[in-house]
Amino acid sequence: MTDRDIDQQLVERVQRGDKHAFDLLVSKYQRRLGRLISRFVRDSAEAEDVTQDAFIKAYRALPGFRGESAFYTWLYRIGINTAKNHLLASKRRAPTSTPFDADEAESFEDASLLHEVSTPENELMSKQVVDVVQKSLQQLPEDLRSALTLREIEGLSYEEIASVMNCPIGTVRSRIFRAREAVAEDLRPLLETSKNNRW
Amino acid sequence: MKQEISALMDGELFEDESDSLLGRVKRDSATRDDWEVYHLIGDVLRQPEHIHCGLSAKVRARMQEEPTVLAPRGRTAKHKIHTMAWSAAASLAAVGVVAWMSMQITPETSPQLALQQTALRPASAGIKNKTNEYLMAHQEFSPSTGMNSGAYYIRTAAYQPGEK
Repeated sequence: MTDRDIDQQLVERVQRGDKHAFDLLVSKYQRRLGRLISRFVRDSAEAEDVTQDAFIKAYRALPGFRGESAFYTWLYRIGINTAKNHLLASKRRAPTSTPFDADEAESFEDASLLHEVSTPENELMSKQVVDVVQKSLQQLPEDLRSALTLREIEGLSYEEIASVMNCPIGTVRSRIFRAREAVAEDLRPLLETSKNNRW
Repeated sequence: MKQEISALMDGELFEDESDSLLGRVKRDSATRDDWEVYHLIGDVLRQPEHIHCGLSAKVRARMQEEPTVLAPRGRTAKHKIHTMAWSAAASLAAVGVVAWMSMQITPETSPQLALQQTALRPASAGIKNKTNEYLMAHQEFSPSTGMNSGAYYIRTAAYQPGEK
């Protein structure tokens, strides 16, 4: 199964009346959609509201989603339209004058611009999370770190990682899980301190 | 369980496994937290420059006020595939039944019928000559030929083998 298949399974659950399945899609895409909307709406509080609106609009529109495109492409379109409508409603222009492409938006990496939109609290929390993850990753044994990096950053499948690392697929699966769980163990205390601010 | 969630996120489970696991993840809050944290780790590793503040709790709170959505039956791609598969299976079954029925009546598969036909042949051959004589004698009463009007004036003759 691909990532798209998993999204489709969750979408079909929502279409059958399962609201909780939508939570899992929100958990998965909240940061990516938030990052995308931040390109249009510079104020972080507004961007957060617009992101929430986009998710609610997506939920309402889900009965009409037929799976002809990937869920995330469809979600990003809704996010872009919601952001543009928000700017129109507040009589402002979107920061880009050229047509905006959802795939292009996903690969956006202008960190300096994004830092401008963060509040000090958000920025501090973000920095702490990033520090913990990176420190934890550095402390992992080499084989676990490589497996997780190849998966999350390079986007390789288990089969490809097994080929690169010259080990069975079952070992790859175990290494990636152990790496994730080790990082999560370090991260959980920080997340517990901000229960009201779920990640 | 956690290892399965990790594999699920990576799309490395079979469809039936992932379907049942997704059901468990959404029901159990601890498992859902694992799902969230693992996704957070992935996002941090991919784009550490900016991690947007978590929204899922806020969206979840707003979702409480939303009515449950339902897609009309038969809309999903999976349902379409099932419908097509059943249609194809029904068509194949119909073709199979017709083919089976046609094979049942061929001489190769019904030797009794073939034997009956060969058994009848000598009896019909015996009366052939008498029938020919009868037809020749009553030809003028036949309504089926286009030569009825002229047939009255035609003299008919029949010969037996060896006769001059």
